[in-house]
Amino acid sequence: MKNLSLIIIIFMASIITACNSDSNVVVVYTSVDQVFSEPVLKAFEKETGIKIKAIYDTEETKSTGVLNRLLAERNNTQCDVFWSGDPVRTIVLKTNDIIQPYNSEMAKGIDAAFKDTDVYWTGFSARARVLIYNKDILSRADVPQSIFDLVKEQYKGNVAIANPLFGTTTFHISAIFNALGDDRAKQFMMDLKANEVIIATSNGDVKKRVMQGQVACGLTDTDDAYEAMKESDNVDIVFLDQDGIGSLIMPNTVNLMKNSPNAENGKKLIDYLLSKETESRLAISCAQMPLHKGVETPQDVTSLDNIKPMSIDYDKTASKLQEIQLYLKNWVENN
Amino acid sequence: MDSIKHINIKNGSNSLLGFNSLLFVIYGLFIIFIGFPIIYTFGTVLFENDLSNSFKLLNNATFSLLFKSLILASSVGIISTFFGTILGFLLYKTNLKFRSFFKIVLLIPLFISPYILAVAWKDFFFFLFGNSSIISSYFGVIMVLSLIFTPLAMLIIGSALSNINSQIEESALMLVSFKKMVFSIMLPLIKPALITSFVLIFIFSISEFSVPAFFGVKVFTTEIFTQFSAFYNHGLAIIQSTLLIAICIILLYAERKYIADAPFLSVGSKGTNNKMYDIINYRKLGQLFLIVWLIISIVLPFIILFAQSFKGGMHSFIKAFNLLLPTFTNSISLAFVAAVISVFIGFIAAYFSIRPVRVYKSFEWVLLLIFAIPSTIYGISLIKFYNQPEFGFIYSTSTIIIIGYVGKYTFISAKLISNAIKQIPNSIDEVSQIQGISIFSRLSKILIPIILPTIFIAFIISFIFSLGELGTTIKLYPPGTEIMPIKVFTIMANAPQALISSMTLIVFSVTLLMISIFYFMLNPFIKKYHSIND
Repeated sequence: MKNLSLIIIIFMASIITACNSDSNVVVVYTSVDQVFSEPVLKAFEKETGIKIKAIYDTEETKSTGVLNRLLAERNNTQCDVFWSGDPVRTIVLKTNDIIQPYNSEMAKGIDAAFKDTDVYWTGFSARARVLIYNKDILSRADVPQSIFDLVKEQYKGNVAIANPLFGTTTFHISAIFNALGDDRAKQFMMDLKANEVIIATSNGDVKKRVMQGQVACGLTDTDDAYEAMKESDNVDIVFLDQDGIGSLIMPNTVNLMKNSPNAENGKKLIDYLLSKETESRLAISCAQMPLHKGVETPQDVTSLDNIKPMSIDYDKTASKLQEIQLYLKNWVENN
Repeated sequence: MDSIKHINIKNGSNSLLGFNSLLFVIYGLFIIFIGFPIIYTFGTVLFENDLSNSFKLLNNATFSLLFKSLILASSVGIISTFFGTILGFLLYKTNLKFRSFFKIVLLIPLFISPYILAVAWKDFFFFLFGNSSIISSYFGVIMVLSLIFTPLAMLIIGSALSNINSQIEESALMLVSFKKMVFSIMLPLIKPALITSFVLIFIFSISEFSVPAFFGVKVFTTEIFTQFSAFYNHGLAIIQSTLLIAICIILLYAERKYIADAPFLSVGSKGTNNKMYDIINYRKLGQLFLIVWLIISIVLPFIILFAQSFKGGMHSFIKAFNLLLPTFTNSISLAFVAAVISVFIGFIAAYFSIRPVRVYKSFEWVLLLIFAIPSTIYGISLIKFYNQPEFGFIYSTSTIIIIGYVGKYTFISAKLISNAIKQIPNSIDEVSQIQGISIFSRLSKILIPIILPTIFIAFIISFIFSLGELGTTIKLYPPGTEIMPIKVFTIMANAPQALISSMTLIVFSVTLLMISIFYFMLNPFIKKYHSIND
């Protein structure tokens, strides 16, 4: 029995020692995949000596876990900085009045299109929505070049998209609604359904289905697509609608939380994330496209200068997203 | 002599009073730390907001979905309990070869996150059929959840089977055939365990989110998640959760009623040995069943995990180990402390739940209420309550995680322990009470030694579930804290499959190692008091 008591005491002690507090810290919540975000945060910690305390999100919760936690903590904010993989989540926080403006000097070289007009959030390193396809199933000539090709008979039952209620897919669909208008967009969604589009659980699932050859192609984000290309030689990507509405570009966004407990350190982290060095690092690790000019990138990372972007107002898109959620839910459930 | 007896009884009454006080203190602390945050959140949402629009959304489609989930959870409960009974019988009541090996190995699906197993099974179906659409269905969800929860049924039922008084079995065998004894004596004797197994697995299944979500199957929990995460409609999500809780309460009430009214035979003292059978005619069949179950539930998914892990050599495995290394101490410590507290509170709740006093019974109901709340809602409830400046010492430290685990899993401990206590005749307690033995002595020298195997199993189950808990922990873990399942799942997004599979194998190995350590450390105590080892 003495041994048992000793074990309990040791375990208790290890928990107490694990709970030590530190003042030179910055608390960051991020919906960006940990494999990509953690090295950047570690580098900041090493360079500044400011300890990073991070909360990461999971694919299982469709990367909404952190956002819901921020909303739940709104009365006593624990977080200093929220680093989001896309602007939608940040705009939800802005709508809920739990973030504050911060105009970082480091963001001067970033186009105003990628910033909130009141600098509540600032964008950096962007991803794009792309079509990933299986080269064993589709020859280069047969690959769809427009999102509207996906409703053609030849691709029937052979296209996958992630559940449009979550993540970047929901953002993509609402951007299409804004670009086309509700009626045409709804017709497109109906046509997609009629063409037996496969609804995957996530962008990762789309990638996997294409790699395995379960479907010929699917819509996903560039980081997922580049990971797939690293893992397998039988996949490639296409930036859609280069002669039409363009490809959706989604910058990372960063913002300072209202009543941030470590605001000064939070600002330092935001400056660091908005730097060219971070953009370069993200270009190397996950093929994200820098928003600053003159950032060194690997050869296989497409420059934003070489892509026709979809014309988009992020606030309006986020607002449209709220508007069409119920429609999308019905669309998914009646599929 | 009379005066001595009088004094002893008086002492016994005093100690009972002391024990009652202890109960109320523990009950009170549980309500304050865990019950009140839930009441606070549900109360805030249900009474402070205008929920008329949310209530309107509770339409036929919602109830139809709820019905589907009920069917799904019932199917998993029945299938798991059925196979768990067969496995429990073969492993705890027969002398088949390699029983000890199978007892440990067949528990493996419990150690691994359902989500990971779902991924492995989907890959396996794709490998087999070139298509995973067969498993991406209700069939797939039922199959995977049944494979995961059958070991839980096996543990509960096996424990009950080994607690049966051998004298009853021997007496019955003198009068009837072995087959008749099994169906007419043995199974009715373990009826509480069968029902407990079904109820627990039903509740686990109806609350499960990750497997149906991964297979793209719409159930009630995915609907709650959608309301919560896509619509940010916390009010409707909480109303829907309340429906789930209500179902669980009705189920438990029915279980209580049934057990109370059933011709329940008290099983005698556990001082007697567990009777083992030599199933001569069915030995090969029994052995074959164990091997087939082992292959289906463990070997097949593990082949996939191993193949994915070591596809590119040892590199991924080493990387996975380095990533998980900082999480080991923290995760094991938290799960251990939570399991100890859960078993302690569970024992107190169980001991009093069998007494005919309503206030005592209410403790187990409170535990059930919390157990039935979906993980996400439970996590958010704790955030809303504890995220106040004055509770920083709880919310900003790992204490909040322990509170999360204890609230979530104490019901299981209480259920298992109360089930074991119910199998002990009241006469044992009554005789010792008449002798004036204090309640503390009765517990430490009579009751606890008798149910020590069940306490150990309750501890192991609480430990395993706490170590693998994700839904609540992801909401609560303090920034910068390294927790094993959180690390696996946060790394999982966009990491190569080899790394994910390697991490899964490492988590599994750590869990197995810890259980083995606990087993070898605690086995001497169990052996000392109770010969559970067949």
